[in-house]
Amino acid sequence: MKRLLSITFSLLMVSSYVFGQTDTTSTEEEDYSIYDNLEFADEGTKRFASVKVSGKSPDKLISVGYDWQGAYDSDAAALGLSPAENADITATHGFRFETNVPVISKNNIIIQAGLLYWNTIYEFENENQLVNPLHRTLADNGLNTIELSSTIYKPLNETSFLLFQLRGGMSGDYSMEELQNTKYNRYALAAIWGKKPNDRKQWGLGLSRTYRAGELNYIPVVLYNWTSVDRKWGVETVFPARGDVRYNFNPRSMLFFGFDLEGNSYRIGNQGTALAEPLNDLEIRRSELRFRFRYERQLTGFIWISAKVGYRYNYSFNVDQVADGEDFFRGFFGDQEYAMENELTNPLFFNFSINLVSP
Amino acid sequence: MKNMMRSFLTVVLISFTSLIMAQDGEADRLVGVWEPSHGKAKVKIEKINDKYYGKIVWLREPIDPETEKPKVDKNNPDEKMRSTPLRGYRILKDFEYTDKDTWTEGTIYDPENGNTYNCTIKMTDENTLDIRGYIGISTFGRSDVWKRLKIPSRKK
Repeated sequence: MKRLLSITFSLLMVSSYVFGQTDTTSTEEEDYSIYDNLEFADEGTKRFASVKVSGKSPDKLISVGYDWQGAYDSDAAALGLSPAENADITATHGFRFETNVPVISKNNIIIQAGLLYWNTIYEFENENQLVNPLHRTLADNGLNTIELSSTIYKPLNETSFLLFQLRGGMSGDYSMEELQNTKYNRYALAAIWGKKPNDRKQWGLGLSRTYRAGELNYIPVVLYNWTSVDRKWGVETVFPARGDVRYNFNPRSMLFFGFDLEGNSYRIGNQGTALAEPLNDLEIRRSELRFRFRYERQLTGFIWISAKVGYRYNYSFNVDQVADGEDFFRGFFGDQEYAMENELTNPLFFNFSINLVSP
Repeated sequence: MKNMMRSFLTVVLISFTSLIMAQDGEADRLVGVWEPSHGKAKVKIEKINDKYYGKIVWLREPIDPETEKPKVDKNNPDEKMRSTPLRGYRILKDFEYTDKDTWTEGTIYDPENGNTYNCTIKMTDENTLDIRGYIGISTFGRSDVWKRLKIPSRKK
């Protein structure tokens, strides 16, 4: 009996030692060819095009950042009885917070929900001498944007997909204590049909209703994400919103060169500024084209940093009168006159953010 | 009295063994071959020493187009691991069955970027796994749905 126990114990010790070797690589010989042509256990299960593209920069779930533009000139047009004015802006800067979190993540659909808050503060030289109402409201209140968004990725089969994005929110010179009326909210929508022929390439075509050019516009969208065979080079584009050429030092460190088109229509709420009735429903059609280098790298785990440096080109800073918040479509060829046609010179800019990224 | 005691002990022993076997049976449903949503790999989950491990057994692109050799774990932060073949690589490690169709305490490794994440596996039905990778708290992780593949019969 004792002998039997001893043998049993020895066997247990040996087996626990052998099975304890569960390191990274399986050492046992296995015929892997038997896994070549397997079917799903559930009949009717389909494969779908994954949203991920090999080598692409990780999606940001939460981003907290700071944006800074250097000195530039602002030529504001006359408005009513207020004269035109040239002012020196010493800096434009602000805090930026964004989230984009998956709420449903399945093979056949992904739904993400987002929240964005951008704050822009205008620093003027000789601020007390400003008389133009546009300059006064920028100096007094700055600009804020709060947006909610939802992105839906719907793969149709192994290679085709649909992508929808809806954004809605308020932009203006309101304060966080006193938000503007929701009738001034603006909505943007993009719908894309696309193909993913392999793990390194994804493209799509679509249409968007957008304020990126400052005012309401309907423009085509081109999605193109590509990574080279050696995973070193890539392209990440959602034209016209952004476009990048990417160089991967490794999967945790990337350099980009490209552009962002940032824009929105900002309601001027006349909060204690020189703007007076009947010019109370004005909106700044602000749009900036930013050519920049961007460097992103993993700090640790899911935490990444991103730094951008580049040149901000002013595409539009005109002002429209939008009666009672009911927006209109001018497009690229409309002839409706602006209430103010303003000019800004173009400074260098810097942006830094710390991000929680998706695995 | 002695017989009664013996019968009682036998019943207890059988019940206890059945309970353990039932628990094992439930936990072992994880064993099998699974396909992640991206379809680039197949992962075989095995039970080793009361824990569950998953290794890559198939790659859609087994040859590295850059080197024209079988793919290796070249993105691993540990340089010594960068020559390890990806086929046979254990990307799921140390999972233990807790309850309610859930396996925890394990990690998942992503060879695409060399990151290792905490991971929870939830079986939503017999042939579907919800795999959630995260660091720290699971709120900000990412879920992936894996589907069970029919287990191949052994070649003779």
